[in-house]
Amino acid sequence: MSFDVEPLSSDTAVVYVGSSLDFRNADEFKSTFQEYVADDVRNFILDFSDTEVLDSSGLGAIFSLYREISPDDGQVAFANVSQPVQVVVQLTRTYKVFQQFSSVQAAEEAFSSQ
Amino acid sequence: MGSVTKEYQDLNRALDDVRDLCREWAAMHEASSFERNIFRYVRLVLHEWLANLHQHGQFDGRMPVVRIRLTTEDRHVYCEVRDNSTGFDLASNLPTDSPTSPEALPERGMGLRIIDACTQQLSYDQTEDGHCRFTFSIPADHDPWLRMRF
Repeated sequence: MSFDVEPLSSDTAVVYVGSSLDFRNADEFKSTFQEYVADDVRNFILDFSDTEVLDSSGLGAIFSLYREISPDDGQVAFANVSQPVQVVVQLTRTYKVFQQFSSVQAAEEAFSSQ
Repeated sequence: MGSVTKEYQDLNRALDDVRDLCREWAAMHEASSFERNIFRYVRLVLHEWLANLHQHGQFDGRMPVVRIRLTTEDRHVYCEVRDNSTGFDLASNLPTDSPTSPEALPERGMGLRIIDACTQQLSYDQTEDGHCRFTFSIPADHDPWLRMRF
């Protein structure tokens, strides 16, 4: 399963997580974002609107992205967080690290205003 | 008291079915006083457990077989997962440290941390017929947020 990515600007992209980000596709997620990091994308909006499964490996892959871009002031934001994802976010306190937005547009506007 | 039992010989199928299994069980208790998030915690714990089994389970050449049973009783959800793997030392793999922040969480190994936070009365043993048995319970008013080690 591949991840759809939509560049919004030279340094910002939206990653559509899809129905699931778990141990079975976490490495593919990392390969996907690493391509865009290599192209100097530093701000990633993760769209969870259709996501039914986010497990610890998927979350670990997201933290891997964050650790790669944060030294360059990169950011990761969550958009359209589904209920199953919200359970994991609350449990792991991930909301302390990644801002959540009700839409991709809201996240994009927040990045643009910084 | 109600229960749901499913058996799988394909761990990928088991992982994909966990959502439907929990939904079926939740539908049986639509009129109950259970917190809506309880079935999401059950689903998360089952997924993390099956993911561990899928990635690390040793079956000595046998076809993996896993049986999941969900039971509700006395405002608790009880779950039992039996499998025919060779087992592992759960006690020594459960987290004992407390990361200072989410950023300090390891990239791998958070699954057992999540399982530990979401469950009560967690146990892991061998059955008389040599199967591995993982059991846990979650009370209706459980708040795993309070148990997460930070």
